[in-house]
Amino acid sequence: MIWLSWRQFRTQALVAACVLVVLAVVLLISGLSLAHLYATSGLPGCRSRNDCPVKLMDFTAQLGGAYRAVFELTLALTYVAPALMGAFWGAPLVAREFETGTFRLAWTQSVSRNRWLLVKTGLTGLAAILVAGLMSLMLSWWFSPVLKAAQFAPSRGSLSINRLDPLLFGVNGIAPVGYAAFAFALGLTAGVLIRRVIPAMAVTLAGFAFAELAWLNWVRPHLIAPVRTNSPLDASTIQGLTIGNGNLMTIIPGSKPNAWILSDQAVTSAGHPFSAPATHACLDGSMQACGASLGPLHIRQLLVYQPASRYWPLQSYETAIFLVVAIALGFLCLARISRRRLA
Amino acid sequence: MFWLTWRQFRAQAIIAGSALAIAAIGLIISGISLRHSYNDLGLPACQAHHDCAQLATAFFAQLQSASSYGFVSHLSQGLLFIVPGLIGLFWGAPLLAREFETGTVRVAWNQSVTRRRWLAVKLGVAGLAAIVTAGVLSLLVTWWSGPIDRAASLQGQGADSSGLGAYRIEPSVFGVRDIVPVGYAIFALALGAVLGVLIRRAVPAMAATVVVFAAVQVVWPNWIRSHLISPVTVRSPVTGNLNELAVQMPSHEMTVMGSWSRANVWLLSNVTVTPSGKPFTGPATSACIGNSPQACTAWVLRQHLVQLVSYQPASRFWAFQWLETGIFVAIAVVLAAFCAWWLNRRRLA
Repeated sequence: MIWLSWRQFRTQALVAACVLVVLAVVLLISGLSLAHLYATSGLPGCRSRNDCPVKLMDFTAQLGGAYRAVFELTLALTYVAPALMGAFWGAPLVAREFETGTFRLAWTQSVSRNRWLLVKTGLTGLAAILVAGLMSLMLSWWFSPVLKAAQFAPSRGSLSINRLDPLLFGVNGIAPVGYAAFAFALGLTAGVLIRRVIPAMAVTLAGFAFAELAWLNWVRPHLIAPVRTNSPLDASTIQGLTIGNGNLMTIIPGSKPNAWILSDQAVTSAGHPFSAPATHACLDGSMQACGASLGPLHIRQLLVYQPASRYWPLQSYETAIFLVVAIALGFLCLARISRRRLA
Repeated sequence: MFWLTWRQFRAQAIIAGSALAIAAIGLIISGISLRHSYNDLGLPACQAHHDCAQLATAFFAQLQSASSYGFVSHLSQGLLFIVPGLIGLFWGAPLLAREFETGTVRVAWNQSVTRRRWLAVKLGVAGLAAIVTAGVLSLLVTWWSGPIDRAASLQGQGADSSGLGAYRIEPSVFGVRDIVPVGYAIFALALGAVLGVLIRRAVPAMAATVVVFAAVQVVWPNWIRSHLISPVTVRSPVTGNLNELAVQMPSHEMTVMGSWSRANVWLLSNVTVTPSGKPFTGPATSACIGNSPQACTAWVLRQHLVQLVSYQPASRFWAFQWLETGIFVAIAVVLAAFCAWWLNRRRLA
């Protein structure tokens, strides 16, 4: 049974292995030079408050070009890999047997249907998980100098990035493993229910894209109740101020470094979003006068965020949920297949 | 023949139609409110008041604080980026590969319709659907992004951290505006059809289509597009204000960037070279180490450095659009002709 599964999976495994090897070589070459860039940037030893930001700027200035291209390509690849594995490995796994009628042959051998499905999904599913895990591991290693450098960034700096950033969170740590398992199980289920390969692949791609988007926007921010702070704002903690049509003044409060900001608002003491006619000092006075004139308005900053310390709890919850959904889908497939008639 | 093709294509057409309808509703609702905030700020009349850059900055600040615009922008552009790929994957690759795989090609080719006509109608119907789908979606996205594109050229600072504000000519948005998505869609469809004919199995053909099309989409904007029209190159002596002056500490390597900057272009390269034409990297002399910035700047200005900039101006936007669309459509026609030739040669057995 393992031999049969391997024969049916050989080409896909070979393609995936080639992609992984190419990716590993590119990331290794680029990653070594990035690590060297960080080591010689003077950032690791920098202590003084004046020195670090300058060195950080030098370091950031060199991150364009090839590094950026490698990063964007790997990022995109790591995001689409689970979807592709779901569509090209998961969906045809059972659907092809139905479509070509070979399930009649497969299910009338000495191997039980349950065992047949378990071995097939086990081998391919584990391969999908392995591929996603390796990609995440390689990208995390490649990106680690940038994250280390970002620790030196001032709160309003150019490199205020952290692992909780929605873009990075899904390609770092163990989350990609959960996505791969889920995408694969989704493809498998679509194949078992639809029983035609191409429609099952389309449903898998659409379903996975929708699940990811919905998760990112509506579920992940609330996995752990976010921290809410409500603190007074004054001239020193304001990042910007815009005066629009009709002289209405809106305020952009300063942000918080090393956290995933969910919402950052300037509000009145009653809790409504702040927007008021511009003060005289702000219309034609100096910066200082404008700042001072804001004091009597009692503006407060309402900040909702996830602190960086929650990185691993959020990662483990997210991965656990995706894995549980994947296992549930797997059981659904088992139940459907064991009840199906041959004819 | 048309009736058969339509029956085979019905499900795909209905899915594409419903997806387009949903996208249209979302983009129109969001686009109207985006236009309101653009007009409310007074941007349409900013030329007369000479405050365009300032108002455009305020506009982008508003977009940043209302997170839904960033979301709609990324989602719609991401969708338009992948739609040609999906067309090639789900319409192009199985179009002929499925007929071979299931053996139905024997029935199809033994009817009163010639193979060439059979292929022409199949490709024609799918091609027309691809043009309509990519064209309508591109029209919607271009219309939605209109205020953002105009504000970007008025502001003249390039893309911000969230990716909004890139100029239309820059690669991050060029491929999701106006007519090029139509060229990509036809190309992807023809590519899928050819790979389907060559591989003759649907799923491997689909995989090959994804890989080849993604490779083209990566290679084309990064290495080919900028050479379609030879870029504008400017040589200017480095004088006066410097944009950047940095000294790497143990190595004494220097980075110098002159004050040349120009909004609304696709910047291809910007290097500072010595009079002999080599990139300037220092080494820094005593004037720049442990001395005042003024002394260092004065020393740099005495080196007769030249700044070499090459770019594509925004005025070439439509030239690039037509040229690129034309090239992709031409490749698609060649691929379709190859399909016809290949099918004519094939035996039925």
